[in-house]
Amino acid sequence: MSTSLPEQRPSGAWPRIRAWIDGGGLLDRRAVIVVLLAVLIVVMVVLDVAGVTTAPLTTDYFAASLINIVPLALLAIAELFVITTGDGSIDLSVGSMVSLVGMVFGILYGTQKWDFAAAAVVALLVGALLGWINGFLTAYFRYPALITTLATYYAYASIALVITNASPISGPRIQELYGAAQSVELPLIGAYVPLVPLGVFTFLLPVAVIAWLVLNRTTYGRQLYAIGTNSTAASWAGINTRRSQLLAFVISGVISALVAIYTVAQFASARPDAGTSGPGMALPAITIAVLGGVAITGGVGRIGGVLLAALLIVWMNASILIVVPGNAGSQLQFLALAVVLLGASLVDVTNSRSRRARARQSTSAGGAGGVAEMADSAASRAE
Amino acid sequence: MTSRTDSAPATVSLRRILPPAVTGQEVVLVGVIAVLWVLLGIFTPSFLSPASVGPLLVNVAPVALIGIGMTFVIITGGIDVSVAGMAMVCAVVTARLLVSVEIPLIVALLVSVVIGGILGSVNGFLVAYARVHPIIITFGTWNLFLYIGYRTFNSSTVNGIPSTFDVFGKGAAGTTLGVPNAFAIVVALVAAAWWFLRYTRAGRNLFAIGGNAEAARLTGIAVRPRLVWVYVITGVMVGVAACVMLASGTSSLDQSVGNGKELEVIAAVVIGGTSIMGGRGSVVGTLLGALLVQTVSVGVIQLGWPSQLSRLFVGVFIIIAVGADILRERARRRSGRMS
Repeated sequence: MSTSLPEQRPSGAWPRIRAWIDGGGLLDRRAVIVVLLAVLIVVMVVLDVAGVTTAPLTTDYFAASLINIVPLALLAIAELFVITTGDGSIDLSVGSMVSLVGMVFGILYGTQKWDFAAAAVVALLVGALLGWINGFLTAYFRYPALITTLATYYAYASIALVITNASPISGPRIQELYGAAQSVELPLIGAYVPLVPLGVFTFLLPVAVIAWLVLNRTTYGRQLYAIGTNSTAASWAGINTRRSQLLAFVISGVISALVAIYTVAQFASARPDAGTSGPGMALPAITIAVLGGVAITGGVGRIGGVLLAALLIVWMNASILIVVPGNAGSQLQFLALAVVLLGASLVDVTNSRSRRARARQSTSAGGAGGVAEMADSAASRAE
Repeated sequence: MTSRTDSAPATVSLRRILPPAVTGQEVVLVGVIAVLWVLLGIFTPSFLSPASVGPLLVNVAPVALIGIGMTFVIITGGIDVSVAGMAMVCAVVTARLLVSVEIPLIVALLVSVVIGGILGSVNGFLVAYARVHPIIITFGTWNLFLYIGYRTFNSSTVNGIPSTFDVFGKGAAGTTLGVPNAFAIVVALVAAAWWFLRYTRAGRNLFAIGGNAEAARLTGIAVRPRLVWVYVITGVMVGVAACVMLASGTSSLDQSVGNGKELEVIAAVVIGGTSIMGGRGSVVGTLLGALLVQTVSVGVIQLGWPSQLSRLFVGVFIIIAVGADILRERARRRSGRMS
């Protein structure tokens, strides 16, 4: 969310930091998450020294746990695109798309012995098609996104289960793919840094960089924020709001297809319930997006915040497991996620309230606060 | 409307306020369900037998019961995705008490309902006073409830649950005049909720809040207390539903209880014609939506098709039902503008 008020920018490092803090910068979502990450690491180091942890805490442990960040962060980025278009947009079907595209990829690559490249391209196209169906129903037929993607969540999950009669696809070719998810030593600097799972470099970082470029350096990205903030104003400004929203859903489908391929590699088999078993993949992805500062009402959200939120959740879960192993630990993960998510939402509320109060003060002090108040009321609407 | 001259002004004003007693969506749903039942009766040997219809009606009950609360919530413009977690907590705590201290039926029901109400009030207070979107609040509390539920399970199943709840729909004890008691309870509660939404001020206030919360506040409606109550009612309904789930299950309860219920319930509510944007909805529609979903899943199995196929039909039904609703709403608005 934008925390800088439209005032003249002070020059010099220290005044700029002061202005950032005065503008509520410390309450910025990314700052909050960085602080939480730092607290987490300090606490873990203390616990390790005190001998509370059940296994030695190493950087390799943290690095290896990153294998879980790839699907979570990718799907959260997909949600970022969709939710940012506003008007209650959300994609509940990402988990089902992961299941269905994974099965398509598994059949083409594992059973039909296609080339990896050909199978992957077809998988991405199928993902795009599934996303297009979501987007077409939402943007052109004006179904609420929650309804569209609830319906396609059921439909895609069902098709994924039916095409192979609910049995997973495995085999030597698919098992070889496991290498894509393994930890590797980086070239050049590899000896000095811990082993990081390959998927972070082959899947997550490229998508994150491209998504950042699209959102911040292309017309389309800026249009997304525009229609999410005020779609009427955006369409009066000449933006084709329907096409932009449709495209956001297509992007979500393509990213889900990437996650599908990654998940097939990670589990060394294509499972028909890969994205829908247990609590599914969609709700955790939305949780991470929201935690990363994506406003559920649209128009606000950044890649950096989402990545930090995913990192916080993955490392928090890994830390809990090393202190409290087994079932008790995985139960505690639910509690921790609830506390972090509710806490972050409540911090936001107090944050916007105090900003609104400040704006009101400055209006009564003089006329100059009017613009700030408008910006603030826009910000509070976005929450 | 103004041209209508009626001799009893009180009736006129009430009639002007009230939506039609039966909506188009409900008529269509009744028709679709009737057609499906007739077709399934013709094409399967046993769909219309009492041995098949009885369990179907019992299995409708949990979704329909939670659906009553969810309809209230969605009418106010909110949503509650934590119901699965609540159902798990209610079911496991009640089951554990039944096993360890053999509490009687009425106490067990009270325990489940009170727990549901307390969990619902957590949702309600956070939604009403924190001013964060309900979907986020209930995502958070969903995780919280899962934690409580899993802790109570303590990494194992609850075994040897006594047959206290059989009266809710298992075997001979669970039916009255051939109708499963669980379904009779559902019909009674749906009727009460229908009356509440239509003929009480508090009920009609919910529509006002969902239509425009700020306007509702300015006309003197206590928006926040109303919101808290709506989520508490949802929790209470989850408590009742948990008892039916215990009754219709086996004597052991595993950790998957409630899994995926939130989406099932929301599907039933939206198929029933309740607008996800708030301000419009009906509990009768929700009951019919739940019946339709259950009919499809039973029908698919009895036709010998893969059981997972039923979810595809549920998805298609959601699109058709909401699509019909959108078209009708558009037509209504157009005719309203012309007159």
